[in-house]
Amino acid sequence: MATESSEGEEEGKAIGGNQHLVVDDDLREMAKKAAWSVSSCKTGNGVQFLRDDNLDTYWQSDGAQPHLVNIQFQKKVKLQLVVLYVDFKLDESYTPSKISIRAGDGFHNLKEIKTVELVKPIGWVYVSLSGADPREAFLNTFMLQIAVLSNHLNGRDTHVRQIKVYGPRPNPIPHQPFQFTSREFITYSCVR
Amino acid sequence: METLLIDCVQSSLRHFMLRNAIFLCERLCADFPSELNSQLLAICYLHNNQAYCAYHILKGTQMAQSRYLFAISCVQMDLLTEAEAALCPTEPNAEVPNGAAGHYLLGLIYRYTDRRKSAVDHFKRALSMDPLLWAAYEELCVLGAAEEANGVFSEAAALCIWQQLLNPGSNTPNLQITNEDHVVVLNKTLGSEEMSPRQLKSMQGNIFRDTPGNHVAVFSGGPSSQPSSGGSSNISLYGTPSPMPAQLYGVAPPPLCRNVQPNLNILGGESSPKSKINTTLQGSRRKLLDEGKLRKVSGRLFSDSEPRRSTRLAGEAANTNSNSLQVGTNGSGHSSTRYFGGLSSSSKLISAAIRSGTFCKGQPSASESFDEGRRSESFDDSRLDNTATTSSSASLFADDGSLERERTGQQMGGVLAHGSRVSSGILELLDLLRTLGEGYRLSCMYRCQDALDIYMKLSHKQYNTGWVLSQVGKAYFEMVDYLEADQAFTLARQASPYSFEGMDIYSTVLFHLKEEMKLSYLAQELISTDRLAPQSWCAMGNCYSLQKDHETALKNFQRAVQLNSKFAYAHTLCGHEHVALEDFENGIKSYQSALRINPRHYNSWYGLGMIYLRQEKFEFAEHHFRRAFQINPCSSVIMCYLGTALHALKKSEEALNMMDKAIIADKKNPLPMYQKANILVSLEKFDEALKVLEALKEYAPQESSVYALMGKIYKQWNIYEKAMLHFGLALDLKPSATDVATIKLAIEKLHVPDEMVDNL
Repeated sequence: MATESSEGEEEGKAIGGNQHLVVDDDLREMAKKAAWSVSSCKTGNGVQFLRDDNLDTYWQSDGAQPHLVNIQFQKKVKLQLVVLYVDFKLDESYTPSKISIRAGDGFHNLKEIKTVELVKPIGWVYVSLSGADPREAFLNTFMLQIAVLSNHLNGRDTHVRQIKVYGPRPNPIPHQPFQFTSREFITYSCVR
Repeated sequence: METLLIDCVQSSLRHFMLRNAIFLCERLCADFPSELNSQLLAICYLHNNQAYCAYHILKGTQMAQSRYLFAISCVQMDLLTEAEAALCPTEPNAEVPNGAAGHYLLGLIYRYTDRRKSAVDHFKRALSMDPLLWAAYEELCVLGAAEEANGVFSEAAALCIWQQLLNPGSNTPNLQITNEDHVVVLNKTLGSEEMSPRQLKSMQGNIFRDTPGNHVAVFSGGPSSQPSSGGSSNISLYGTPSPMPAQLYGVAPPPLCRNVQPNLNILGGESSPKSKINTTLQGSRRKLLDEGKLRKVSGRLFSDSEPRRSTRLAGEAANTNSNSLQVGTNGSGHSSTRYFGGLSSSSKLISAAIRSGTFCKGQPSASESFDEGRRSESFDDSRLDNTATTSSSASLFADDGSLERERTGQQMGGVLAHGSRVSSGILELLDLLRTLGEGYRLSCMYRCQDALDIYMKLSHKQYNTGWVLSQVGKAYFEMVDYLEADQAFTLARQASPYSFEGMDIYSTVLFHLKEEMKLSYLAQELISTDRLAPQSWCAMGNCYSLQKDHETALKNFQRAVQLNSKFAYAHTLCGHEHVALEDFENGIKSYQSALRINPRHYNSWYGLGMIYLRQEKFEFAEHHFRRAFQINPCSSVIMCYLGTALHALKKSEEALNMMDKAIIADKKNPLPMYQKANILVSLEKFDEALKVLEALKEYAPQESSVYALMGKIYKQWNIYEKAMLHFGLALDLKPSATDVATIKLAIEKLHVPDEMVDNL
């Protein structure tokens, strides 16, 4: 998953960022059909720029902290990883420094899951949502909220260039306890 | 000017100069508006892919050929009701235009509009009229209603072809009739074999009588002076009326055998017809010697009939004069009644020879022997009263009348030889078609091993063609033997790199084998060859799907559907992608469109079953898997899923039976064993499950789910060390994240044996 740099996991200290987005094959982007909203935005830098796969465009907030990005799914989904692209060199005081991730059923019962501190990040920042317990490998939730609590150099507003949310792939063969790993099994597992 | 224009148009068509043809034809129709000319214009438009123009021109026409062309343009424009209305005879006894071809087209229309029974009926009629109409047999196979190839391409069929070959003449002096009309006429006038010679006689006489100019139309542009010139020159060589060969060549245009047409053109249109005829006549002498051998080898069908024919011919030769008048009247109202004694039989033989000539790679020499036989017989007819061309022949006839008896024996030999050659040709072709037909029928019924055995019987040359190798590949694919299928398809690509037959299946094979490089290479090649073929886009889509980019894959499959909405497999693949994107509604829609096009497409039944399995609608799932199983009873994968569905419906006995069947059906498929173990575990028959899993370990040692399941069983028995061992092994084999979590959870729970443990 997260390759060389970044990610000191323990208390959410994340340093630097990855140049490239490298994700496990058995994870897939979950938020394509989700509803994305933000607490505030500047005209011309709205929420769509968080999802446009373009690292040159960004979302800029325009209000009081904390700045919120809300992702609401149509059904409860299993999530494993959140990835953000931020760039200190380009955004300086707009770069987020403290990020809190909350989850819940809706706005009324969000609970904080993870806090991450970024120090001059340039690139993709991986935030894993799994707990230590194997029982908590995935986060099962209806809604995810990414809150930018503070920025570098005490900036008021923030720039985020891209956000992606990953979860596990479903078992391609329904009604199976385990997924197949070997080639022989996979070859015979379906008719195309 | 009219004939000149018609000539020009036809010659432009022959040379594919379509713009020229269309322009000239439009001038023709402007000056000489007639239905025949409109037909010609429609033909030009159809060649130029402008079906809509043909449609407008032919709308409302009543002639048989016009209705046929109109129906073709309607089908191309997808106006199936109008096409059907055009083709169906309005009066109860009217014929479907163009006989076999018309029935075939009608069958297609019924098939596209979901009227399976009528479609089958029409295809069968088409086949009975023209046993060489392979496309009709193919359609019957796809519809699942084909009879055994032995029955269709049988001796009766050979007789039918023979008769059709022998009666190529027309009823009217106006020889500007199409080949299809020939067939119809032939069919009508065909009586017993005895009759046909007479028919031929009359027809021959007819043709002979008519001016050579008319022959132009029949011979598709052969030089009109050819007969006479040929005649005169040949007379010097052989003293026989050589115009006969040329005319008879033209006279026997077998619409059944399309490749004869070019031969006719060659024969008719050669720049040096004289030399050709000369050589052919010369060749015939030599041929007679070979015929003897041929006779022994082949011609079993006609070897018996030949002596009869020869006696008959001899008899006829004797009776010609007296019979000719009878013949004249017997022939359906021929105006001219001058007939050569043995002309009919000889022409029969000639046409047969032409046929065999084409079969034997176009050696026209076969017809030579016919000439000889013909000549002898024709000598009888002293009443031959033709003009320019036949004056010489008349004298010849007179001369040789006496010689005829002596030569009869010789010519009978020639005739017999010819008969055997023709029959051997017909039999060869029927044999080939029988093999291919049987193979195709079996593979459509998914009896793949049998189909493969049959294809093995083909000659090397036929086997190593793109079509056959693709069929072989498909058969292996249906048997889930992807490696062999890969090999077969690779050979097919080498044999015909431009062919698209079966390439979509090939891309699926590569998908199953996870050969990314090969698959992307195939897709690139196909697209660069033809961007408008649905198979190329199917291959491309499979490529993206292999890389798990399901949205792009879906786009590609949708393009394939756009290109040809009657291509069932593209719809099925769309359905698979929808399911991968978890869009079950659209998935169901796609599968159902595929089934609407081809209800025997078992992949779509399987796809629907999978959707319902996912949605936990188990009865539906079972029903759909069962339909798929009924269509393709030898696929172990489908049996496996049927068993899973049965198990979900709590019919575990049946489920286990099905799994056993699947295991037996395909030893290489590990899945049924795994599923069987699953079922046994859920039935709490842990011992048996363990046995199965142990065996499975041998088959697929790298499969983590096997160890995970074994770990589960040991955990159930509270044998913790073994459970831990197996869970550890399972984890080592890198299962997916979900499974890692599950297994780790299981491991944790191992250490708390006394707590209530819910199932993993």
